[in-house]
Amino acid sequence: MSLTQAPILETERLILRGPEPRDIEPMIAFLLDQNRASGFGAAPNRGEAWRWFALNVGHWHIHGYGYFSIEMKDSGETAGISGIWNPEGWPEPELGWVVFDGFEGKGIAQEAAARARRYAYQDLGFTTLTSNIVPGNTRSIALAERLGAWFEREYENVHMGHDLLYRHPGPGDLFEDDADDDGSVEAYA
Amino acid sequence: MSLTSIPTIETRRLVLRGPTPEDYPDFKATFSSYRSRFMGGPLNKYEAWMLYAAEIGHWQVRGFGMWMIHDKISETTLGMAGGWFPAAWPEREIAWIIWPDKAGHGYALEATHAARRYFYTQQGWDGAVSYIDPKNLDSIRLAERLGAIKDKDATTIDGNDAVYRHPSPERLKSGQIADGIELEINHYCDPLFKPKGMPLD
Repeated sequence: MSLTQAPILETERLILRGPEPRDIEPMIAFLLDQNRASGFGAAPNRGEAWRWFALNVGHWHIHGYGYFSIEMKDSGETAGISGIWNPEGWPEPELGWVVFDGFEGKGIAQEAAARARRYAYQDLGFTTLTSNIVPGNTRSIALAERLGAWFEREYENVHMGHDLLYRHPGPGDLFEDDADDDGSVEAYA
Repeated sequence: MSLTSIPTIETRRLVLRGPTPEDYPDFKATFSSYRSRFMGGPLNKYEAWMLYAAEIGHWQVRGFGMWMIHDKISETTLGMAGGWFPAAWPEREIAWIIWPDKAGHGYALEATHAARRYFYTQQGWDGAVSYIDPKNLDSIRLAERLGAIKDKDATTIDGNDAVYRHPSPERLKSGQIADGIELEINHYCDPLFKPKGMPLD
C-alpha cells in the first residue's frame, strides 16, 4: 500500500521506495533506540516515533521528496532509510541515511545514499546537496567522506543543536559522462 | 497508487478539504501563537512544519485526519477539525482548532459536527473522545455543546488532559442532541435577533 507518490529506485542489492505501513514498526524501533538514533534525533516515546513516520509521509506530499525506505532485494526486509530532507528551518536540502540494527557494515547506507543523491540530481534537478552530521558521529562522517562530501562549516541546527554541515559534490562532478556511481552506464527505462 | 484521497465535506457556511502545502502559512501563524498553548504550542517554525507534515501524513497512514476548514464563499481558511489518532492516543479523537481571529462564529461547532457525522456514517466509527486541557474552557464548552460528556474513567494521553466522550452514533441519531446543535448552527448562520439599524433621535 502506497502512502506517497515516491518512485521506485534500484541498486544492485537494494530497492528504494516510499514509506509503507510495513515500515512503521522497524522505523519506530529505530527511533526509540536512544543510542543508535542519537545522531538522527531519537524519539522519547512511541507516540513521537509514530509521528515521525507520519510526518515523513507528509514531507513527501509537501515537497515531492523525502526519506525512502531501503528494502533488501534478497529478503524484502526494511534495512533503513535514505533520502532528501528539507523541513522548514533546515539550512538546505539534506541527503540523509540511517541503517537499522542488523544491517550495518555491509555498505548498504553508501549504496542507498549514492542512489538517492543521483535521483536528487538527475530526476529532481538539485544542483547541490548537504549532509548535517552531529559532532562525534564518526561513522556518518566517514560515510559522507566516502561519498565524496567535505566539511564546510559548523552551525546551530534548529532541532539537533550544534551541527556539522558537509557539502556533496555536485551533479557535474559526479555524472560527467552520464555514468553510474559504480562507473557503469545505465540505460533509462 | 492507492493514496487516500481526502473527501470534501460541505456544510451551510463551510467547506472542509484536506490540508495542502498552500494552507501551511495559516496553520503556522496559529501554531506559533499563544492560541496553540493547549495543543503543545507555541511551536517554532521547525516544529510547526513538522506537525503540519504529520497532519498530512496522518491521512495516509490512518485513512482519516484533520480537515482544513474553509469559508465556502471566500475560501479563506478558518481552522482545522477532524480525527486524530497518533500512536500514543488511547482512542480515536475528534479535534478542532479555530484561528484566533476567526473565533466566535460557531465555525468549530459546524465543522466538528460535520466531521463527526462523516466518521460515524461513512467510516463506521462507534464513538470517539476529545482530549482537552482542563484549562481550555472554550474547548470544554464546545465539547459539551457537541453533546460530549466528561469521562472520568477513560484513559488519558498523559494525565494532563480530560477525556470528553462523544455521544454514540445511536444517541446522536435519536434527535435531541443533533437538533440542538443544528439549531445553534442555524442561529449562527441566520441570527434570530439582528439589530435593525441605528435608532434615530
